[in-house]
Amino acid sequence: MSTSALSRPGERDRPLMKFLEIDWVFCLLLCMVAGAGGLIMYSVAGGSWGPWAAAHFVRFGLFFLLMIALSMVDLRVWFFAAYPVYVVGLILLVGVELAGDVSKGAQRWLSLGPVRFQPSEVMKIGIVLALARFYHGLTADSAHMSWWLLVPLAMIGAPVLLVAHQPDLGTAILIGATGVAIMVLAGLSWRLIIAGMVAVAAALPPFIFFVLHDYQRKRILTFLNPEADPSGDGYHILQSKIALGSGGFLGKGLGLGTQSQLNYLPEKHTDFIFAALSEELGFVGSTAVLLLYAGIIFIALRIASSSHSHFGRLGSAGVTATFALYVLINGAMVMGMAPVVGVPMPLLSYGGTVMLTVMIGFGLVLSTRVHRYSEVTSGRGSLL
Amino acid sequence: MSEPSIFFSEVNRRQGDFNRRAFLLGGLTGLGLTALGGRLALLQVVEAQRYEKLADSNQFNFRLVPPPRGRVLDRNGIVLASNRPNFRLMVARDKDSDVEAVVKNLCELVPIPEAKVPRLIRDIKRAPAKSPVPVMEDLSWEEFSRINVRAPELPGVTADMAEVRVYPFGGAFAHVIGYVAKVNDRDIKASRAEGKSPDPLLYNPGFRIGRQGVEKAFDLELRGKPGGKKVEVDAQGRVVAEDPGGDIPPTPGKEIKLTLDADVQQRALEVFGEESGAAVVMDCRTGDILCMASAPAFDANLFVRGLTTSEYRALADYERNPLLDKALSGTYPPGSTFKPTTALALLAAGVDPKERVHCGGSYRFGNTTFRCWKADGHGAQDMHDAIKNSCDVYFYHLCNRAGIDLIHDTAVKLGFGQVFDIGIPGQSHGIVPSKAWKKKAYRDPRQKVWQKGETLSVAIGQGALTVNALQMCVAVSRIANGQKALEPRLIRSIGGVDQPSGAAVPDLPIPKDHLDTVRSGMAAVANDVSGGAYRQSQLGLGDVLMAGKTGTAQVRQLRGAKSRKNAGLPWKLKDHNLFIAFAPYDAPRYALAIIVQHGGVSGALAAAPKAREIMRTVLLKDPEIRARIEKPLPLPDVQPEAELEGAAPDAPTDVDAAPPPLESGPLVPQPDQPLIGAPDR
Repeated sequence: MSTSALSRPGERDRPLMKFLEIDWVFCLLLCMVAGAGGLIMYSVAGGSWGPWAAAHFVRFGLFFLLMIALSMVDLRVWFFAAYPVYVVGLILLVGVELAGDVSKGAQRWLSLGPVRFQPSEVMKIGIVLALARFYHGLTADSAHMSWWLLVPLAMIGAPVLLVAHQPDLGTAILIGATGVAIMVLAGLSWRLIIAGMVAVAAALPPFIFFVLHDYQRKRILTFLNPEADPSGDGYHILQSKIALGSGGFLGKGLGLGTQSQLNYLPEKHTDFIFAALSEELGFVGSTAVLLLYAGIIFIALRIASSSHSHFGRLGSAGVTATFALYVLINGAMVMGMAPVVGVPMPLLSYGGTVMLTVMIGFGLVLSTRVHRYSEVTSGRGSLL
Repeated sequence: MSEPSIFFSEVNRRQGDFNRRAFLLGGLTGLGLTALGGRLALLQVVEAQRYEKLADSNQFNFRLVPPPRGRVLDRNGIVLASNRPNFRLMVARDKDSDVEAVVKNLCELVPIPEAKVPRLIRDIKRAPAKSPVPVMEDLSWEEFSRINVRAPELPGVTADMAEVRVYPFGGAFAHVIGYVAKVNDRDIKASRAEGKSPDPLLYNPGFRIGRQGVEKAFDLELRGKPGGKKVEVDAQGRVVAEDPGGDIPPTPGKEIKLTLDADVQQRALEVFGEESGAAVVMDCRTGDILCMASAPAFDANLFVRGLTTSEYRALADYERNPLLDKALSGTYPPGSTFKPTTALALLAAGVDPKERVHCGGSYRFGNTTFRCWKADGHGAQDMHDAIKNSCDVYFYHLCNRAGIDLIHDTAVKLGFGQVFDIGIPGQSHGIVPSKAWKKKAYRDPRQKVWQKGETLSVAIGQGALTVNALQMCVAVSRIANGQKALEPRLIRSIGGVDQPSGAAVPDLPIPKDHLDTVRSGMAAVANDVSGGAYRQSQLGLGDVLMAGKTGTAQVRQLRGAKSRKNAGLPWKLKDHNLFIAFAPYDAPRYALAIIVQHGGVSGALAAAPKAREIMRTVLLKDPEIRARIEKPLPLPDVQPEAELEGAAPDAPTDVDAAPPPLESGPLVPQPDQPLIGAPDR
């Protein structure tokens, strides 16, 4: 921990001080990933800023400013907002269940006036904040093993079930896994962890065959044997692998990826953008992007562990876990190691909703960094 | 959970737990990222080449380029079947295209018959996605360009130029050459049954497969090998770019040359007119088939386009059966044209050709009276007379000296009762009865035994005996050739490679003097004033004479019939009229057999005149025969001036250039008179 002005009481609340305390390397890595995404969008659009690249950059710029702004927000504000955000998220999820828009066979969107958004995204932040808030007040023993643990289980279970019912399995898994990660980070007993893993493993096959929708089951079966129907369901996986593999070591060059340029690669600007990038920039480019992600995750975790408040630690770590899960799930999917689930590559993929969620999350991470010496519980903090 | 319950050590413990767990989860994430990196290395470095190939096969596509189908030519190189350009309109369905709307739009641009629309929509929907279905063929240039201009607004619609088979002679060669037609499921199944994957050409829209005759028998040779046009396509199958360097040119189908002569074949169909029957002409030195016509014919071009039901019914239901190849598939009783064969059998059995038999108009055998065609009889007849007059009684009387089996053997030697390897399918064997045949053909033991009375019918070409026109022609050409057991040849060359000649065969196992006897009888039929077809057989080609034999074959049981007269009978019950011939008599070159189905008169009246016309055409096309006919007539009195003029070096040789005018002398030679133009004989 560097000795900074932050350690001197009084200094740490000055906005300039705070601004300087932002981890700018972290910000640079975020910009690089988003920039790479924009570059590939420019390329797969046939060398055009429209329709994706320009929007991507504008959006990222706005959300970046939002993140910086959020990083100035005192951790105590986050703390107090935790439960309300969660509750609002839950209400919105119920609202979606009752009055959501049906899009592509799933009820995911909610329209509030002119704004359409996915409440499940609110919940991604909400679950992290709420669990961090809850564990903040829990003793190590209780977090280890106690009846108190039923509370976080219920807090995770409710949104997961609601989202899974939409049905949006990818997001449900993401929310659930983030929640479980926070529970583990908070010090969950290994015995419970192992018992939980055994229970999940036992429940998985019947779950796949009796609970999942047909299209979801099909995706999993396709994943297990993608060559069975190369022009049907295995198409996405196969074409993605071809794009990756044919990129080779150095790639085909920007704008020269045949798989993405000729539309063999599905969703080349969103879920499969990593494959498009790997095709055009090769092994060198794809591993570079993976290293950028590794750097982001590493820095975020370091920020988390540097926090003096348990809320900040768990909150930042939860956001990081969500982010890492995004990267791992999307990476595995694109490389044919996991079924096709609609999980984008964060910051690289086109799409405002996920980017907004991620940048708000990183706002919390940076806020944790800026306010790492703050005691969350010692009263209401000022907004800046 | 209130604030004071958390003590300092508690805080430290939570932090410690968190840090360890965070380290652990960070490690797991690192592991996951490493796994992804490893996977990338596997895909992008180790297996990169494999995926490069897959990407290439995505990116590049070979569009099949159909080869031009081989042409079919006649012996002189006249085109009998070739290809013409065809502007086609095709529609390909995509996953989410609105076929109805597309077809509706097309109907506004080109005249698609209303009635065809539902079927078209069904066809397009049934076809696999993105594979074009021909919607309309033979667009006019205006229609073609209209479609191409509007193409961007019509998804899946393409208009291109392909080739389609055309038969310039329409129906004249329909039975020999056959036709091509659209590929159906059975073709693909048949091709699969051979253990090969079907030729990709079969799936090419608009491709047509040989259905009959030469087109069917040599389909693979004519078809050629498809080429490929290398194109870059996107995932929607749209061609993005072409790569002419990577194109593979198609191998055109082989050209097939037939032995047929287009002029002769056409003349044959002309002389048949509305009548039904078949005519076959062979070169009796080589076995080449010059003409193999079946009348009435049908326009093979209709089959290429695809017949409508009513068109098909009209052809199939017509009683003169245009779809049947009467030269090969139709079998008929040969009637008296079989008498030369019977005569050869009698000679083989040792019958003296000078032996005379009295014909009183009928012959009683057992309980049955066998009638001669001439009710008041021919009087005393030797073999020459019997052939000349076609006397039935002579053959009734003597046939059992040879016996049915010798007649059968002789007939087989001449070519009856068998099919020939002429390259095309569809030949019928016919029946040449024998004792063994009867034993096999009947189940009832009483009927299995050959009755001598049956021999009498066979001897005059009736009874169970049936032959086809080609067999008749082969038999005449063997008699005319006198030496070789000629084989007919229809395919002259395939892709420039000559097929074996029909003369490279063993000798005919029939003594020459026997053949001479029969030939002189046949010559008398045509050239003796009292011969059966004297008037109808005069060629009018100077000393080039035709020998022949008439035949009239009954198709109804005479017993119980009031009269042998055919007038007033329904067409189906009228007699068949036949004629066999060869010419020139003195040095045989061409043999001919003709069947006029239900001609209803006699061989001499219905068949011989047609035979003469066809034979004239053949002979006049032969330069050697022409030279022989066009020999200058001996000038009666040579005047000195004329001689001088003729001796002048620059004088035009009029006499050689044009045939002598008819007025200059009787060209039709009279029998028993010295033949003008051949004074040396």
